[in-house]
Amino acid sequence: MSKKLLKIEDLELSFKMYEGISYVLKKINLELSKGEKVALVGESGSGKSVTTKLILGLLNQKNVTKKGQIIFNNKNILNLSQNEFKKIRGNDISIIFQDPIAALNPVFKIKDQFYEVNLNKQFFTKKESFERAAEALEKVSIRDPERVLESYPFQLSGGLAQRVVITMAMINKPQLLLADEPSTALDVTIQNQALDLMHDLTKETNTAVLLITHNMGVVRKFAEKVYVIYRGVIVEEGTKDQIFSKPGHPYTKALLGAIPKLNSNQLPRFVENAPDYASIEKYVH
Amino acid sequence: MLPLKSTFIDKIMIKIKNISKKFLVKKNIVQALENVSLEIEENDCFAIVGESGSGKTTLANILLGIYDYDNGEIFLDNKKISSKRNLKMRKLIQFVQQNPMSTLNPKKTIFKTIALPLKIHKIVSNDKIGERVKELLSYVGLDSEFIYRYPDTLSGGQKQRVAIARALASEPKVLILDEPTSALDVIVQSKVLNLLLDIKEKLSLTYVFITHDLSVVKNIANKVLVMNKGKIDEFGKTKEVFSNPKSNYTKTLIRAIPTVTNEEDEIKPKL
Repeated sequence: MSKKLLKIEDLELSFKMYEGISYVLKKINLELSKGEKVALVGESGSGKSVTTKLILGLLNQKNVTKKGQIIFNNKNILNLSQNEFKKIRGNDISIIFQDPIAALNPVFKIKDQFYEVNLNKQFFTKKESFERAAEALEKVSIRDPERVLESYPFQLSGGLAQRVVITMAMINKPQLLLADEPSTALDVTIQNQALDLMHDLTKETNTAVLLITHNMGVVRKFAEKVYVIYRGVIVEEGTKDQIFSKPGHPYTKALLGAIPKLNSNQLPRFVENAPDYASIEKYVH
Repeated sequence: MLPLKSTFIDKIMIKIKNISKKFLVKKNIVQALENVSLEIEENDCFAIVGESGSGKTTLANILLGIYDYDNGEIFLDNKKISSKRNLKMRKLIQFVQQNPMSTLNPKKTIFKTIALPLKIHKIVSNDKIGERVKELLSYVGLDSEFIYRYPDTLSGGQKQRVAIARALASEPKVLILDEPTSALDVIVQSKVLNLLLDIKEKLSLTYVFITHDLSVVKNIANKVLVMNKGKIDEFGKTKEVFSNPKSNYTKTLIRAIPTVTNEEDEIKPKL
């Protein structure tokens, strides 16, 4: 009925803790079309990472309460069983984590980790899986894919490992890619390469991307649409141009103002007592 | 490459002459530093930038005396220093690390953490330690009630402030800051950087600022050293390096900065 690939409606999340109930997400609404690149920006503790975990069905502890809907391909996936999620993960939705070395299992060679991902799609023999992985790695301009596949994760540099992780996430041509701070652990030059690679691969397969980050520079380079989240509330949404040229919400303004600029010689100064941004009404462009 | 001479004579705080350092990794020799020479003047905010593996952290560790060096000489305040140092020498150079979560001892209260360098270096007599700890906390903008708390009850920015207070406790002349804000959010980063600048002014410190975030460097450092594969790639005053970079490597680094306004894009150097 609708053309939206992912639709999050009134999503609420809370954790029951020793000190009481902690409300992490408060009625989040978010939409993604096919092939669209959307960024979710916020500081640590704002609830951006738990949103990706909910989409992948990774929050199932007893102390978690979730309400609302996550509609993926016209189907609510919020309360699916783990077996049903297994079919979605790595096939229709995949994820890239912040630290590529930590995301890979240190005791298995890269080829074995690719084998597991390949099996999500259909049955492959180990030899077929190796060839499929080598072909995919060659495409992302890794010159000696055989050596990389025979390596353990700690034998790879950070940039190379991130390439491997991105390739692994994209090998089954998912409809949605969740990228949780994909470039934060990398140097500026390698960060650029990783973003370009993600951009090219997702364009080829028309994959939608939900980019989670706190780096506004990365958002400006990569995303088409931006949601700004603060303490579990979406405070502003708009296209990239709207957010960067005419930010409406005071929090977005503060976030943009805090970034040291290349064309200035002085750090931005701050008033210590910031207002409670979450209580200020959401700004929609 | 020698530092630019200014019109009046500044006191040279750190002088490094032809330092080299090799590491042996699985029978392969990795040349982490190759004939690095530089001079850091008093009250400088001296930035060292470069990609990971360029040798900037090795250089910091050599300055701190954590690593020994293969050849060359280091002078601190005109006195030659080696990696084997006595307390008096160690007191002068202090360190703030990247990740505040892992540099504070989780089993010690903030009071104990900051009091330790005061005791080791005998900065104040034992009965005045409490007073001095509170004073140090006020330097970094924290209340005195923080002395009873443990690191895991603090936020990232607060932990980094405690780490700075601990580094200031021994009354150093040089602070080495190894990516002090890259684990923090932008708003917190901006607050911590402003704090560092205020402290520098107040206590007339010399900073060695190691980072790969060039837009931060542009805004706080007065001199920049660009390192590439263990060698000095470019050195100069911040304004000159950013407005007129000479090496291609520096240009690539500046071009790679993720920016947020069109005006910034326009001033990026072209390759």
